[in-house]
Amino acid sequence: MSLLVAQDLHKSFGKTHALEGAGLTIRAGEIVAVMGPSGSGKSTLLHCIAGILPPDSGVVRYGDRELTSMSDRERSELRRTDFGFVFQFGQLVPELTCLENVALPLRLSGMKRRAAERAARDWMAKLEVDGVADQRPGETSGGQGQRVAIARALVTEPKVVFADEPTGALDSLNGERVMHLLTSAARETGAAVVLVTHEARVAAYSDREVVVRDGKARDVEFVR
Amino acid sequence: MAIGHALLGLLEGGPRHGYDLKRAYDERFGQHRPLAYGQVYSTLSRLLKNGLVAEAGVEAGDGPERRRYAITDAGVTDVERWLGTPEKPEPYLQNTLYSKVVLALLSGRSATDVLDVQRSAHLGTMRELTRRKADGDLADQLICDFALFHLEADLRWLELTAARLDKLAAEVGK
Amino acid sequence: MTQVISDLLLGVRLAVGGSRKSWGRLVLQGVGIGLCVAVLLLAAAIPNALKVRDDRTDSLNEVAEGTGPAPLLMEEMYVHFRSLDIPGNYVNVRAENAPVPPGLERLPGDGEIVVSPALAELLASPDAGLLGPRFPQRVIGTISQAGLVGPRDLLFYAGDTTIAEREGNRVYAFGQTYERRGLDPVLWMLSLVGIVVLLFPVLVFVGVATRLAAAQRDRRLAALRLVGAAASRVRLIASGETLVGALAGLVFGIGFFFAARPLADDISIAEVAIYPADLLPTPELAALVLVAVPALAVLTSLFAMRRTIIEPLGVVRHQKPVRRRLWWRLVPPVAGIALLVSQAGAIGEKDSRFQFYVIAGVVLLMLSIPVLLPWLVEWVVNWMRGATPALQLAVRRLQLDAGTAARVVGGVAVVLAGTVTLQVLIASVEKDVIDEEKRDLVHNFVALTPKGEFDMAAMKDAVAAGNGVRAVHVLDRTSAKLPDGSTTRVSVGTCSALKAQADVKGCTDGKAYLVRFSRGAAGAESGEVLMVGGRSAWTVPRLEEVPGISPGLFLTPAAAEGLDLSEGMPQFQAELDLAVPDAAEHMRNAIAPYSWRVHAYFYGQDDTAEVELVFGAVRQVLIAGSMLTLLLAGASLLVMALEQVRERRRSLAVMAASGVPRGILARSLLWQNGVPLVLSTAIAVGTGVLLGVMVTRVFNAEVAYDWQGTATLAGASVVLVLAVTALTLPSLRRATGALGLRTE
Repeated sequence: MSLLVAQDLHKSFGKTHALEGAGLTIRAGEIVAVMGPSGSGKSTLLHCIAGILPPDSGVVRYGDRELTSMSDRERSELRRTDFGFVFQFGQLVPELTCLENVALPLRLSGMKRRAAERAARDWMAKLEVDGVADQRPGETSGGQGQRVAIARALVTEPKVVFADEPTGALDSLNGERVMHLLTSAARETGAAVVLVTHEARVAAYSDREVVVRDGKARDVEFVR
Repeated sequence: MAIGHALLGLLEGGPRHGYDLKRAYDERFGQHRPLAYGQVYSTLSRLLKNGLVAEAGVEAGDGPERRRYAITDAGVTDVERWLGTPEKPEPYLQNTLYSKVVLALLSGRSATDVLDVQRSAHLGTMRELTRRKADGDLADQLICDFALFHLEADLRWLELTAARLDKLAAEVGK
Repeated sequence: MTQVISDLLLGVRLAVGGSRKSWGRLVLQGVGIGLCVAVLLLAAAIPNALKVRDDRTDSLNEVAEGTGPAPLLMEEMYVHFRSLDIPGNYVNVRAENAPVPPGLERLPGDGEIVVSPALAELLASPDAGLLGPRFPQRVIGTISQAGLVGPRDLLFYAGDTTIAEREGNRVYAFGQTYERRGLDPVLWMLSLVGIVVLLFPVLVFVGVATRLAAAQRDRRLAALRLVGAAASRVRLIASGETLVGALAGLVFGIGFFFAARPLADDISIAEVAIYPADLLPTPELAALVLVAVPALAVLTSLFAMRRTIIEPLGVVRHQKPVRRRLWWRLVPPVAGIALLVSQAGAIGEKDSRFQFYVIAGVVLLMLSIPVLLPWLVEWVVNWMRGATPALQLAVRRLQLDAGTAARVVGGVAVVLAGTVTLQVLIASVEKDVIDEEKRDLVHNFVALTPKGEFDMAAMKDAVAAGNGVRAVHVLDRTSAKLPDGSTTRVSVGTCSALKAQADVKGCTDGKAYLVRFSRGAAGAESGEVLMVGGRSAWTVPRLEEVPGISPGLFLTPAAAEGLDLSEGMPQFQAELDLAVPDAAEHMRNAIAPYSWRVHAYFYGQDDTAEVELVFGAVRQVLIAGSMLTLLLAGASLLVMALEQVRERRRSLAVMAASGVPRGILARSLLWQNGVPLVLSTAIAVGTGVLLGVMVTRVFNAEVAYDWQGTATLAGASVVLVLAVTALTLPSLRRATGALGLRTE
């Protein structure tokens, strides 16, 4: 079943054409690696299908709703409730403790602090970072920080997790640990993962890959 | 095998005689290992037997007789199938892959497709290794990692080649 | 040495950079520091302005001793016109070489007058019609600055050849310095502390202004450190950068100061108006300002960078903040309150210890604000924990760095508290004064005090004939020496004459009354023997104590039996019909020909309008001053908020990407700005009112509140929070765009 469908996306920044007719389909629960050389438009594609950036033209459909015709507020709300995000770095609020960071999305959706923090603590345990719950992000290691970020992305049990180079700032061992925890946690909750990466070993955690080249995405079906 | 497919690919440009073929092959692929005449003729006769090439007349002239060969329809299909099939992902593939890319470019086919197919196959193997790693013990993990890093190196070479295809096409087309 | 200079210059180049943005930053920094420099220069100019005024006052003093006949006779006289008091001198020139007072080109001859510019203006104004008859002389010139203390002083010199030589009117020269009671050293020190406390926000702002775009600079310097510059060289380079801003600030500040200076003589209260030329900082203080501001700027920026300098990557990890201790912060407020409470109602004591206690109490309470505020902000912020995500974000941010915000608003709080205190004091005093004025309004006597020898009976007739004069009573007055050596005034007259001076209800002939200087003040007691006129003794009869307008003994003729009045002078009490408008002015005009010979003081003059004008002006100055401080604080907060948005760019962008509504981010900014400022305003108002009440109690006055002024301040701080937040929103919007996600 197609969860997220993007068709013929175009997006330019000034004179730079980042996307020129890109499209892809994400099915529920699958892990898709979006690969391609730097500057190919991977991140822009991710921003567009996640509703962070509105494309210049083209359609993004999530379930039976059309993302591209939603208002900024609606997209914000959708991102908060149905999507989760993991970036390369700098995504945690430095002033909040790790636990509060993880609990933040739940609290934004109106959950009481106590309940939100209980759920956050569970997720931190799943990602093996419950030890740093009361520390601030600046006091944790890179790998711990990424796992806290993954806990935050998954705490709302989103339908899709968007991960943009989640291991980009980590060494091989930490990167593998993060990828292992991310994919197994996502499979456990049935969340689809859109994984932007240029590393094959990271992409190997996916079910299939999509290659972006020159602003066009090529959907390569899973070949066994 | 690679030489047969390479000769077939070269014949797609038009009929040639054996000596021509050897020269073209050496020029493109045989940097350090020129093809022996015997190998050219034995390969051609195998292709002839399999109906992938046909004789296209004899050119009279000085010296030895020059028999010309042309690719058959079956030959074209065979080349196409070969190009479309990824190599079994394993280390040290660059020779074959390189031949494939060059021949695709020479014959006006999409070299990108060749690379994409290969990448897919590589990633498929890597996925399997990654899965095995997740289930296996430390020794398994270390062994799988070795393969994974080598496959990754291949893939990186593939990416780099893909990024340089335009330049390569220009050089091949000369 | 050349290395040092080249490092400094590198810093200068980095600061100016050439791009429009860096110039903009420099201008902003210059304006910010410039405002502070201007305020400091103004403060530095005040001692000098006061000294210049004192010097001129001295130069106007007449020298009454000399050899030979006096070349000049001079009679001082206050001309009263409604609420205005116009001091003047009637002069009789008796010699060619008569001394000319400063500010005059020549002495006025008979029928001539020289007036101050303010008096000339008053005489020319349309509502001065009733004043004209008292100045019939021909105006031959105006008094220049040398002869006036302030630019709006009323003053005149009129020629009158009828002045006869008598004791006390001889003038040989002008310019006599009298010993001034200098400020008590303790008081001096305390006022110094007070000034420092008041200038605190200015200093804080200098620090904040130098931190403009500091995050960027820290990155730049970290990069320098990374390529191998030693910490000491980075410090030098940073000092160079800061110095540029500070020097620009000095230029702007001097400009602002001289631009604002001409406004000094527009001050509407004549007593406060200052000649712009008098407003010049002493060289020492000016040098201090010009050195201290750049030094302070450099020190602050070095201090702020100390962590960056250690870390070449500019990575500053946020550690858990250290909890602040409370106990020692409680010492100043407790001590201050204790000091003030112990002195409640003790104004009567002339002990200098009393003043010390009160002022020390006030200063301690003021000081306790910046001392307590960081702790309090932190405590409140901890206690709030964050009921909503927006509040949580703000609170956590404040917890990490409550110190900076608290320092900024702490300085403001002191000024606001001072303002509120003054508002309460002023409101109380104004209420007191106006109440008294209102009480006095029913008083319908003009006291006519004659001077010198002249036909008083004729004068009395002239007064009696005046429009709106009901009757003229006579009080015979003399002075007597009390056994303790002090002197008291003794007035004798009929009950209706006494009524003009004291509240003598049920007066019958034979009664004697005592009016004390103030409640509890010393005075003559029944049975005491007084020396009258230096010769004859007189025993005080039984006294009744009553309130009155001037202290002394008030006797009915029968009670004054045996009192020697030969040395005394009579005082006439003209009873007015208050139904006649301006009755007092008409009466004064009726005796205008007597000019300096009769001083006519109308106790029942309606001064409320004048009082309100003066107090209104004072209130305006207070509000304007505190607004300026608030504005400085607002600018500081704005700088900090912008810096923070810039620093948090990535985390803000990620939050927006993960679907955190911008509204929540904006609200968290609002809270972040609002919590410290609102808290400090609340504390300031609280402390101010408390202090105002306590000080008013000390002075035994009735407490009144200037709620309108206080509300203006509170409202202004709320508006400021909103404005600062609103100004931060565009940069927040930029930061939360998807472009914020891109790595640099």
